[in-house]
Amino acid sequence: MSYLRLGLVALAGLAWFLLLPDYRTLGINLLLLAGWATAWDLLGGWSGQTSLGHAAFVGLGAYTVAVTGTSWDLAPWWGALLAMALAALLALLWGKLTFRLRGSYFVLASIAVAEILRLVAINERELTGGAIGLFIFDLKEPFGLDLFDRGVEFWLALGYLILVLAIAAFVTRGRLGYQMRAVREDEPSAEAAGINPEAVKLWAFAISGGLTALGGCLYGIVLSALQPQPLFEIHLSVRIALVAIIGGRGTLFGPLIGAALITVAAELFRNVFAEANLLIYGALIVIVVLFAPSGLLGEVHRWTVRRRYARGARG
Amino acid sequence: MEGLVPLLQNVTGGLLIGGIYALIGVGLSLIFGVMRVINFAHGEFVAIGMYLAIALFVDLGLDPYVSLLIALPAGLLAGWLIQRVVLARLIDSPGDSTLLATLGLSLVIANALFLLFGAEPRSIYLPYATATVNLAGIRLPVAQLIAGGITLAVITALWLLLNRTEIGRAVRATAQNRLGAELVGVNTRRVHALVFGLGMALAMAAGVILAPLLFAIPTVGSSYTLKAFVVTVLGGLGSVPGAIGGGLLLGVVEFLGASYLSSGYRDAYGLFAFLIVLLFRPQGLFGRETKRV
Amino acid sequence: MFSKVFALLLVLTTGLALAQEPVQIGVITSITGRFAEFGEQHQAGVQIALEDVNAAGGINGAPVEVVWEDDTSEVNAALAAAERLVNQGIPLVMGAYSSSITNPLAQYFTRQQRPFLVFTSSDDAITRPGSEWIFRLNQPSFAYAEVLFNVFDQLNADHGDGYLETIVTIHGNGAFETAVADAVDLLAEERGYTVLDRQDYDQSGADFRPILNRFKGLEPDVVFMVSYAADSVALARQIQEVGLNAKVFAGGAAGFALPNFIEGSGPAADYVYTATMWTQEVPYPGAEELNARLTEVLGRAPSYHAAQAYAGIITAVDVLSRAASLEPADVRAALEATDMPDTVYGHIAFTDYQGYQNQARLPAVAQQVQDGEFVTVYVNGQVVNPMLDTPAWGDR
Repeated sequence: MSYLRLGLVALAGLAWFLLLPDYRTLGINLLLLAGWATAWDLLGGWSGQTSLGHAAFVGLGAYTVAVTGTSWDLAPWWGALLAMALAALLALLWGKLTFRLRGSYFVLASIAVAEILRLVAINERELTGGAIGLFIFDLKEPFGLDLFDRGVEFWLALGYLILVLAIAAFVTRGRLGYQMRAVREDEPSAEAAGINPEAVKLWAFAISGGLTALGGCLYGIVLSALQPQPLFEIHLSVRIALVAIIGGRGTLFGPLIGAALITVAAELFRNVFAEANLLIYGALIVIVVLFAPSGLLGEVHRWTVRRRYARGARG
Repeated sequence: MEGLVPLLQNVTGGLLIGGIYALIGVGLSLIFGVMRVINFAHGEFVAIGMYLAIALFVDLGLDPYVSLLIALPAGLLAGWLIQRVVLARLIDSPGDSTLLATLGLSLVIANALFLLFGAEPRSIYLPYATATVNLAGIRLPVAQLIAGGITLAVITALWLLLNRTEIGRAVRATAQNRLGAELVGVNTRRVHALVFGLGMALAMAAGVILAPLLFAIPTVGSSYTLKAFVVTVLGGLGSVPGAIGGGLLLGVVEFLGASYLSSGYRDAYGLFAFLIVLLFRPQGLFGRETKRV
Repeated sequence: MFSKVFALLLVLTTGLALAQEPVQIGVITSITGRFAEFGEQHQAGVQIALEDVNAAGGINGAPVEVVWEDDTSEVNAALAAAERLVNQGIPLVMGAYSSSITNPLAQYFTRQQRPFLVFTSSDDAITRPGSEWIFRLNQPSFAYAEVLFNVFDQLNADHGDGYLETIVTIHGNGAFETAVADAVDLLAEERGYTVLDRQDYDQSGADFRPILNRFKGLEPDVVFMVSYAADSVALARQIQEVGLNAKVFAGGAAGFALPNFIEGSGPAADYVYTATMWTQEVPYPGAEELNARLTEVLGRAPSYHAAQAYAGIITAVDVLSRAASLEPADVRAALEATDMPDTVYGHIAFTDYQGYQNQARLPAVAQQVQDGEFVTVYVNGQVVNPMLDTPAWGDR
């Protein structure tokens, strides 16, 4: 069923590509944000560990491709693999340190870790180019594809999102997925049932971080000029989390719906309301939280479930 | 002897700025302690205070320290309203929804300030703001001394309110056990609104005090939000005296770190301390309780 | 009756057909978000420039129109806007304020092989190495440090060698501030000064006293500061509070050149040297008049960013009216051939020098705050107003 929906996502992507040739960059932004939010949701939604530090993985991915591609002359796909490995490693370390914290404490710790990584990116100039940053002028071309062409980037971003969705579907349907939900709902009971909560959360974090970094690699190529300021900033972390939560955490397609809604709305507001766009964006978040607390898709699920029960009771 | 005066200079400087951090942190900690809400808009409340002081100064020529008398009740009222309209509806919602609501609120406030005041940095110039008092070779800036005095007065008033009045009893009861408090007849809905109002009033007071010291830009709030988090975690989330200690400590650590170590990682020192405290003393540096949340 | 209406319609439509299609110029800047302050300045400059060029007949008789794109101070929105402008066939696009936005834009336009005119973003890396499609009329960040070192050299010449020898630097950790601080290191070595200490700081709103206390122990001749508006005032005030004395306080542009630096700092701003890119006292025709008009539009004194936007539009119009066609290659050729000796922003022509490519070579301007006013003291290698010695804080 959800694999069928994956096909629909691919079709929608194709339609966007054909019908909106002027909006491919916007499409790439949407697809990447959706991919990050879906990856975030593995930890934040399915395992119940809200992170406000996922920009660190985006930055790690972008910088790894830039450093390996320009200084080491490595092809970007090797750079991407390395980035994912590094991100998974970072996630394991990060999780090992902070998973003893619960709820709000974990959220705050995630902000602190990401902020420290941002300061490292600014201060370690030898590696990252510091505040002035890094440039990607040239990359090896896989199968003769020009990675700097917006069309190619669009397809890669679509492929990335579908890959993330497929992995998320696979993981959440499987054994690990049930364990993640068990840990989210009630950690002591999960432990009593023989689940190792820390191991489950670490798996979720590593997969989530690795997938986020993969999208970061592509984002780095799209930008081609990297600076720590926009990449590692808390604003990006916040946006990734918000999109997933607005769409519906712990649902497979919620983050995608959230990303689509927010990206398109931001673009519309930018042109229509000019100066008030961010204000309306903020108000929208408050409204969604107030009137659709489990996220848009979560509300739809709740509503259909309630109707099914009502019908069952009547029948 | 050579290094003693600069050292004392740095320590007093750190304590003075730390006092303002404390004032911001106390409100955040109070809100968390009673309502279990992590207020992401706290820094924006500080920004509102700054702009209020600037507007009153520019339009009415009101000295910022006088406009404190307007800022405190205005903050109380605004916080009360925000709690009633937004947060009260979320009281039984899943854990992070209040965090999200305040995040949305912070965006709304920052951009409303931008629409009202424009993006250019604004400040108040008071002739006596850069004057200093010389105390045995240690220079104490007058504006910061006033700020320190006001901080002390406001925090004392808060302490009296919490510990010496019937309202304070209700607040403390709600913080310890909301259901229990309700059973013995405390109107916890009103307590929540009051606490959020108090938190906002304290943050706005800090903003008013900061207006003559620093510049205001509409996006200034987010850095104060982060600082307030560090302060409250150092002191123990939810603990008011802890937040005061945390604020003073952060001020001194930042000063000494930037003065004697490299300043590039200055904010990282605070964050490292923050993480270490979170991991190994989640009740805060000064807390005695062993279990919270 | 019907025929009358028909005739009227006919007249209207033929009249419209006779008027030429307007020529469009794309402008990407930050109208909202954290850089909106500069977007406001840009809008004022563009508005006045459009009045001027359209009053002078536009581009070969066709009116000139600007297509605004707000990047909301974010790189994603800027890249999306750039794509739209390119696909709409806008012949020339200008932008953007922050280098974190302009750098990716420059990469995009280079790859699309479309000309891009940078008019306000000053990161050295935009035109060094740059590309054949990227043109910049404003001064690169190096120029901000360079003009102040010219002032230092001049002061040494006036007071005798050895007057100024040592420098301490404090700068924000953004790309621009770091680039200027790097230029300070480089120029100090080239011209025989010693940099005793260099400190950066993270977010704005920081307390600088600990760093200033540290500087105080070093007794430097020059305190070199690079920061944005909010921090420049805090720095000036705190220097006075801490009692840090030096022979020269130098502000490497950004915050120090804005009028509210003086408003906010009061007497603490006095004697501070600042680098700026344009003032009404520059020896270019019409500078004073432009300043007055910008002041009227903005309702306050403009910053040099407004003049840069003005210069951007008149350059774009000049380029498009000379271009053989509106095809990218022709517009690029016209940009390359630009030679406008008498603009209000100086002699605009794009050249290659010192590793820069397609970079207008314009000097920066040094000002000194004297008695609560910006006074232009050094332009084009010449002292135009006397430079005052900085008294110790105790003697003011």
